[in-house]
Amino acid sequence: MRIPFISMFVTSPFEGVQEHAEKVKECAGVFQKAIECIIEERCEDFEHFRKDIDKLESEADAIKRRIRGHLPKGTLLAVDKFELFRYLREQDKVLDVVEEGLDWLSFRAAAGIPEVLEKDFMLLVDAVMDPIEELSKMVAEARKYFSNFSEEQRIVVKDMIRALRHYEHEADKLEDTVKEKIFNTIDDGVAVFHLIRLTEIVGSIADHAENAGDMMRAMIAK
Amino acid sequence: MGSESYVLIIGYIFGFYMAWNIGANDVANSMASAVGAKAITIRQAIFIAGILNVVGAVFIGSHVTKTIRKGIVSTDILADPHLALIGALSALLAAALWVSFATWKSLPVSTTHSIVGAMIGFGIMAGGFSVINWGKLAAVVLSWVISPVFAMVISFLMFKTIVKFILSKEDPFAQALKLAPYFISIALFVVILSFLFKTPLGKKLAIGTPMALLVALVLALILGVVAVKILRKFIKKTNLTGEEEVFRKIQIGTSCYVALAQGANDVANAIGPLAVIYFLVKTGSVGAKVPVPVFLLFFGGIGIACGIGMAGHRVMDTIGRKITTLTNTRGFSVDFAAATTVMVASKMGLPVSTTHAAVGGVMGVGLARGIEAVNFRIIFEIILYWVLTVPAAAITSIVIFKILQLFI
Repeated sequence: MRIPFISMFVTSPFEGVQEHAEKVKECAGVFQKAIECIIEERCEDFEHFRKDIDKLESEADAIKRRIRGHLPKGTLLAVDKFELFRYLREQDKVLDVVEEGLDWLSFRAAAGIPEVLEKDFMLLVDAVMDPIEELSKMVAEARKYFSNFSEEQRIVVKDMIRALRHYEHEADKLEDTVKEKIFNTIDDGVAVFHLIRLTEIVGSIADHAENAGDMMRAMIAK
Repeated sequence: MGSESYVLIIGYIFGFYMAWNIGANDVANSMASAVGAKAITIRQAIFIAGILNVVGAVFIGSHVTKTIRKGIVSTDILADPHLALIGALSALLAAALWVSFATWKSLPVSTTHSIVGAMIGFGIMAGGFSVINWGKLAAVVLSWVISPVFAMVISFLMFKTIVKFILSKEDPFAQALKLAPYFISIALFVVILSFLFKTPLGKKLAIGTPMALLVALVLALILGVVAVKILRKFIKKTNLTGEEEVFRKIQIGTSCYVALAQGANDVANAIGPLAVIYFLVKTGSVGAKVPVPVFLLFFGGIGIACGIGMAGHRVMDTIGRKITTLTNTRGFSVDFAAATTVMVASKMGLPVSTTHAAVGGVMGVGLARGIEAVNFRIIFEIILYWVLTVPAAAITSIVIFKILQLFI
């Protein structure tokens, strides 16, 4: 039944943003498993993980499209519409980069990750997992803030954004360490290129999570 | 039985049908924010709305009604009893049909404007365009703009105030309890004032405006303090949203008021024309004002309650499921804005409907960024139906008038 009084209440885009964040979180787990798999010698599931990520990415894309396509002109949101879109873009970039990382890795999957780098590389991957998981929590807390406007809740969200920035910084430091090690331990030029690029891609996951946090900061600004 | 008895029976049927429609169409608008914010359940909403509409109709509703609602059409048209009888019947049926159509299509139309439009149709048929008071009609048109805008401003300010003084504080629950007397008193002030100004019972007390303001202020303050004492007893802090709980209780009060006022004011939309028919049949003539027997008011109240009971569930169920982002502080802001708008507007002599005011109220909270997503463009669709109501009811009334003339 269609009641205009109700038509005023559009489905909140935050629901979609939350759903999207969950997808991002889900893919983080798959990504971690895929990397672990590559590091272990005989990895058979790698392609399987890649397909999983592909699927998650297209599902997340559908959510993103749904959010953008289902905000009629003249919809008034708790935040600026374009701030929300920009946030969503960064959140989506996280997923894109994860996918890109696995693709890049697959181009030279047989070579895998050299043993000397295994530990450092795993540390880097772990470091970028934290910000990904923080994103969905942040969206949930931010929605709470938009419903009760409590200063306390705003501080909770702000703290999470600060944490994201901190994670990014840590990941950056690890990225530098790994890069240094690549240049100093690997002699094969092709392998160096492949690994450097891979490290950069993985490192940029945290960058995009941080950017998403910055967008969130703009949305909760008074 | 003579033919006149048949006419009276038809009048009763049309009157009941109109009252039923008022109940079915208006309940959604008056109870929407309360049900949406989960201040009351669907069952409670139907119960409260049903009972209080009857009470409002019988005890507060006008015992003397103007035969022509809102004085838009000159009473000259009542000079010929035969024409008046046909006119009252066709106006009643036309308004009821339009409201029925609106209920079926789920359009938020004003029942008051429907009967006004139907009366205009009857007026044009009986006396030509000269009998229409264009100034009054302009007031109706003006109300389409004024009531939502005014409600929007009020709810915007109210919600911003709640955010600033309660929600954004460190302990919103304590702050809500501390400030509850003020909010309750402000709400009561509006309720008492509109009771004095708007309801026929209040008008009978004939208190002047300054005196009424004073009475309302004193009563509101006293009752506010009492209400808070009761409130403190019943509210325990259960979780983080204790402040919403405080407003939930206040909102129950405001919904009751809306239902009561609705019964008192809207019953005349159905019973006014019926009273004209009743007196024409019983006495053969009718003046500018007629006394309305209590049983007619009761009849109208029951009609409204039936409409609420039968159609209300479907409407409220939809509302309860669809409107999930409305919390009690927001619902209170909407209710408060709607009640204030209706009160101020009727004091100014503008015929406004709760529907229009409630829509404006939601917009205001949306503007204050209190709702995750509000579609503003729907306002144009809503306005379209408000604008259509008067001519649609008028034309329907004209057609029915022509048809009835053939038979009666």
